Amino acid sequence: MDIIGMDALKVLPFYCVIIPLIASFCMPVLARWKKEFCAPLTTAVTAAVFIITIIIGNHVIKGRAISYAVAGWRAPWGIEILVDPLSAVMIMLISGISLCIMVFSFTAIKYELERIVTGWFYTAFLLCFSGMIGLVISNDIFNMYVLIEIAGISACALVAAKGTRLSTEAALKYLLLATVGSGFILFGIGFIYMITGHLNITFIAMELALIKDQYPILIWTTLSFFVVGFGVKAALFPLHLWLPDAHSSAPSPSSAILSSLVVKVYIIAFVKILFIAFGLEIFHETYIRQLIIVLAVLAMLAGSFFAFVQIELKRRLAYSTVAQVGYVFLGIGLGTPWGLAAGMLHIVVHAFMKTCLFLCAGAIAYQTGRKKVNEFAGMGYLMPVTMGAFTVAAFSMVGIPLFGGFISKYGLALGSLEAEMPLLILVIVLSGLLNATYYFPIIGQAYFSQDESTGDNHGGDKKKFKRDDIPLSMLVPIVIVALGVIYLGIFPGTILKFINLTVSVLL
Amino acid sequence: MDLELILLNFPYVVAIILFSMGTLIVLTQANLVKKVIGINIMETSIFLFFIAVGNMHGGVPPIYDPAYPEALYVNPLPSVMMLTGIVVSFSVTAFALALIVKLYIYYGTISAPNFMKLK
Repeated sequence: MDIIGMDALKVLPFYCVIIPLIASFCMPVLARWKKEFCAPLTTAVTAAVFIITIIIGNHVIKGRAISYAVAGWRAPWGIEILVDPLSAVMIMLISGISLCIMVFSFTAIKYELERIVTGWFYTAFLLCFSGMIGLVISNDIFNMYVLIEIAGISACALVAAKGTRLSTEAALKYLLLATVGSGFILFGIGFIYMITGHLNITFIAMELALIKDQYPILIWTTLSFFVVGFGVKAALFPLHLWLPDAHSSAPSPSSAILSSLVVKVYIIAFVKILFIAFGLEIFHETYIRQLIIVLAVLAMLAGSFFAFVQIELKRRLAYSTVAQVGYVFLGIGLGTPWGLAAGMLHIVVHAFMKTCLFLCAGAIAYQTGRKKVNEFAGMGYLMPVTMGAFTVAAFSMVGIPLFGGFISKYGLALGSLEAEMPLLILVIVLSGLLNATYYFPIIGQAYFSQDESTGDNHGGDKKKFKRDDIPLSMLVPIVIVALGVIYLGIFPGTILKFINLTVSVLL
Repeated sequence: MDLELILLNFPYVVAIILFSMGTLIVLTQANLVKKVIGINIMETSIFLFFIAVGNMHGGVPPIYDPAYPEALYVNPLPSVMMLTGIVVSFSVTAFALALIVKLYIYYGTISAPNFMKLK
């Protein structure tokens, strides 16, 4: 054992959930007293959780999952926390990305939100954060439902925090549809509890393996309830209606959290239920696999197409998320070692890319006030660092080698060969080309076209690089996530090792 | 269909009818308050379903009585879970109504199609 003993280590995942939860309850009180302390405290809490998750990850990479019974009640009765390598990489991702976004929010929140809601924004963020981490590491489906609701409702609050007409409307739409989704999930949990009598995923798996032939129709029903429920929550294509409004009208730190993390944790929960609780036999016997693949293909093509026709930058990024969720679901639907691993890797890569893009959009709106994609002329010279990061993330989104997105798309292609569905490679390439059609015009405009509208303001040689006029607290997170995208593209090995440790157990 | 089976399991049938009704109301009604009512109907049907799952025919409340050690108890776990469900449903309703009040201040109406096209 390295630094700390096994007993202390077992409790650490629990602290990851409970520390942000307690901090979130302190936040409204603190906001009444000293508003300026909210952001540093939230950042400190997120950083502390990030350090804890790295310690957990360091332990889990050796192939030993951490299991902890909350309050000492053993597995079939109590709530079990189980950190397998996949959960470990996801909690590291959630806390790391959140840390970057929180540093970014130092200035962005002052600019985008009214002063009075600052404290409530951080309350909602910390609740959402603890809900997301809990959802990833929980091994009890009813506990999962509670954490889904915590993350979901506070995510709506993150959208509504802006308080404008559009964001209130989007938040209500999100809330109503998300509640319908979680209603479906809860009904599915009820079905599972009815036929197995267990809530712990490990025990459900053992029980379902014995009785799955007795209740074929109930298992079909349960699976379809879960697909609809998690599909609404994770914005799988025909159920994505809430996403573009919510993600585009939220303040930019919220958009980054929602788009890169919140929709993904539901996918992790779905993977756990599908592959661990139901197991591979049910996955192959029912038509669930074909259903997921068809929906994923539709999402990849339609999401990219809808993104192409949007004019507002953040709306375009939001529709792009719909397409990227399609990639992840394609990986799940393929159900082969490479396919599933690439799908999970795409969650990580997409979290970095989309955070980078949304933070860049926030920074550009902060400095120049431009929000439309046709106003980007000369931006590459006006804000070289921000636009450079934007370019890196966009290249990765398209799937150009050396960037993170290439690895996961390549993995998906290998997965579709493994699953003997070579036509899917065509879909992956086509969707990548569609991505190019809506990201490259922005980049091309930024670097190769003359800035006519604002030429007077800075005068002189337009093709000359200037310094970004944004605070360091905005610039540093953008640079870090952009470097993360490049790192994932060149050295994906560490993350893939984590993911493969889990995938090799699942499949 | 086997009528006896349906009669024996009528809580499940009622739960499924209510769930479908609730979902339909959320998705089709234009009035936002009616949508919230639809959500409440939907969640109530789930509570009914869970409690029906926990019920045993001829079961007694799960309080241990030394006089009847062999008594058949009702499963208390689903009822306890539904306490959490009620709390969730309550907070969703409260939050949704708060947002609707805010939208009413902006638009002067709570009918969704009226302001969806104003965008």
